[in-house]
This record gives sequence, structure tokens and C-alpha cells, in this order.
Amino acid sequence: MNSSWFREIRAVFMKEWQSEMRSQSGLITGLLFSVVTVYTISFAMLNTKIKGTEVAGLLWVALLFSSASSLPRIFLAEEEQGTAELLRLVARPHSVFWGKALFNSLQCVVTGILLSVLYLGFSGKVVTVPWLFAVCLVAGCLSLAGAVTLCGAIASQAINRAVLSAAIAVPLLLPLVSLGVSGMRVSLNDGLMSDGVGAAIGLVGYACATMATGPYIFAAVWKS
Amino acid sequence: MLKVDRLGKKYGGRWIFRELSFELGVGDRLVILGRNGAGKSTLLRTIAGLTSRTEGTVMLPEGDSRCTLGLCALEQSVYGQLTVAEHLQLTADLRGCPARIDELLEKVNLDYARSRPASQLSTGMKARMKMAMAIQANPAALLLDEPGAGLDEEGRMLIDQITAEQATRGCLIVATNDPLERRLANLELQLV
Repeated sequence: MNSSWFREIRAVFMKEWQSEMRSQSGLITGLLFSVVTVYTISFAMLNTKIKGTEVAGLLWVALLFSSASSLPRIFLAEEEQGTAELLRLVARPHSVFWGKALFNSLQCVVTGILLSVLYLGFSGKVVTVPWLFAVCLVAGCLSLAGAVTLCGAIASQAINRAVLSAAIAVPLLLPLVSLGVSGMRVSLNDGLMSDGVGAAIGLVGYACATMATGPYIFAAVWKS
Repeated sequence: MLKVDRLGKKYGGRWIFRELSFELGVGDRLVILGRNGAGKSTLLRTIAGLTSRTEGTVMLPEGDSRCTLGLCALEQSVYGQLTVAEHLQLTADLRGCPARIDELLEKVNLDYARSRPASQLSTGMKARMKMAMAIQANPAALLLDEPGAGLDEEGRMLIDQITAEQATRGCLIVATNDPLERRLANLELQLV
């Protein structure tokens, strides 16, 4: 990647960062969502012994809803506010996608870490394979961010943007959630190690695939 | 430099404009006149590639259109959370050209508001900022949509100065309702 691409991607990322730091809407929404979700699940599971699979499943459900409700906004808002035209005039689609996907990835990883710390703290579940948990969390968040960013980008020019974005997300995200739960439950001492490693590899591959193909799909939509 | 050949745009079963052809070279300044809804802004947006054309072709000046084409439009939205200087830095980074923030802000007389978020700018100040972004890369073709709208007398003089400078390096298209803005051009196109 040459310096021009780096400069462009950094510019899009910084635009999102500066806007977020000043409005803090995504940050506060994510924080509130994490705390409320963890509190609700913990309250519902009070005095109940839960398995690693259930912990992993609930954690992924929380991550999925948190991402699917906030991350596509990054593209939808550009169209709704009319600022997408400014980007179309001065930016290349690949740098727009990567800049936004990078910002969404950061937001998703931060939310994922926050959710995990709170959730594991409240549930009292111990992570027995920390490296596997970390790989599944980070690769899962990157995959989620890439896929959800792509959904937002594809749906951004439709009339019913929010509905379409959610509808496209379902088939894209279900295999991802399945892989995430499979990997994470092993790290919580529930299942075979080989299954966990396979799921982790699948998540890394998913993350690479969405980040690599996303810009090309987005470019076609962006120019049409 | 900029060639429009048999350009047509159909919207909702109605032709907004059709069979439009013209060619502009260095020093050509075209003003597009017409009543409200005649398609002036749509024509500019079609030339800029922001709206798809139904028929015909548009040949933009050679090179990367991010730098060779500048558009300043009244309804163009900006980022409310970003400051004036941050807007110029953003567009420069995305275009891959020098930001020239001090020079451009001095030119459009907006230096005093460089750290102010766009959401706190008046209509005229936003118009100046958009003008600065449009001319940042010294474009070969500059498209201005209602450039005088929201500007005071000093702002109008600024438009005169910018259009005169543009004529020395490329071509200019102005879409307007204001008959006074005919002064900016040496060619006229009436849309009906």
C-alpha cells in the first residue's frame, strides 16, 4: 500500500474519529448497551450455573446486536445527511470503505472487550484458553465490523436503508456467529480444542475475506 | 477540455434536458440560466458524475477527476462536527493534493473561523468554505451552482475574483437564477 492510499484511509478514519469524539453518540450507545445487556443477562441467570456454550452464545448475541444496530450508521448517515456526495467528488471508494471499516473495527473491538470483561466478571466464568478467547474475540469483531460495514454500504443508497441493511446482514452474519460461539465456548472449557482452533481459523479467514472483497463490492455500488 | 455530447437526463418519465452538446476550452466561462426546476443543478451534477445520465457522454479534463474537477453547490452538505480547517485537510488528503489551508482561508476571508465547526457557520460562511474546497486542487473545470446565494457584497466580489482566476487555468460553468451573475460568463446556455 503506497503513501497515497495510507493518507486517504487515514483521512476517512480521522474524520470518523473526530466526529465520534465530538458527538460521542456511538461511544455512549455502545457503553449503555454493554452495561444494560450484561446487567439483564446476569439478573436473569442469577443463582444459575451456566455452561461455556451458553456464556459464549449470549456474549455473541450481545455483540451481534450491538454491531448490527450501530455500525451500519457510518454509511447510512452519510447518505441521509447528504455528505456522501462530497466524498464521491473527492475520494476513491476503496479508501472510503477501508477507512470506515477500520473505524468500525476499532469500535467493535472496544465494545467486544468491554462486553467480555463485564460479562465474564458478572458470570464468574473463567477463560481456560485465553489465546483462543482473544483470537475469537478480535477476529470475530473484525469480521463483524467488515460484514456490517459492507451491509451498510450496500444498503446506503436504497430508500429503505435500515431495513435492507438488517435483511442483508442476516445471511452474512449467521455463519459468523456460529463460528464465534464454537470457538469461544472451547476457550471457556466447553468442547474439543480442535473444534475451537478450527473455528478460530474460520473467523480469521472470514475477517480477511470481508476486508479484501468489501471494497470491490462497495466500489460497484458507490459508482452506480 | 470539457466536452458534453448529446447529453440527456430523464427523470420520472420526463426529460429534464436532452440533446445538450457543448465544448469548453481554457478561458471559457459558461452560465446556465433557466427557471426553477429547469434542470440547471441536475446538469451540473450530471457533468460531475453525481447523477447518472440517461444518454450522451461527458468528457472531463484529462487526469484524476478528484483534482481536475471542482464543484461548489448551494445544497452540498458538509460535516457539522468538523471545523473549517479540518474540512480542507480532509479533502486535500482524499484528493492527494496540498492542503493550502492558510492560503485558501485567506483567499475566501474565513481565516477567523478556521477552528469553528461547520454546524456553527452561517450560510454565507459555509458557501465560502465550500468554495475553498472546490478550488483547492486548482481544478481545470470548476462548476458553481448558485454561487452568489447567501453571500454578501464582499462574497460576490470574491466570486468575481475566483471566476477570473479560473478562466486563466481552465473553464467554468455557473448555474444560476440570478441575471446579475451573467457577468461571470462569456457564454450562455438557456434551459427551458
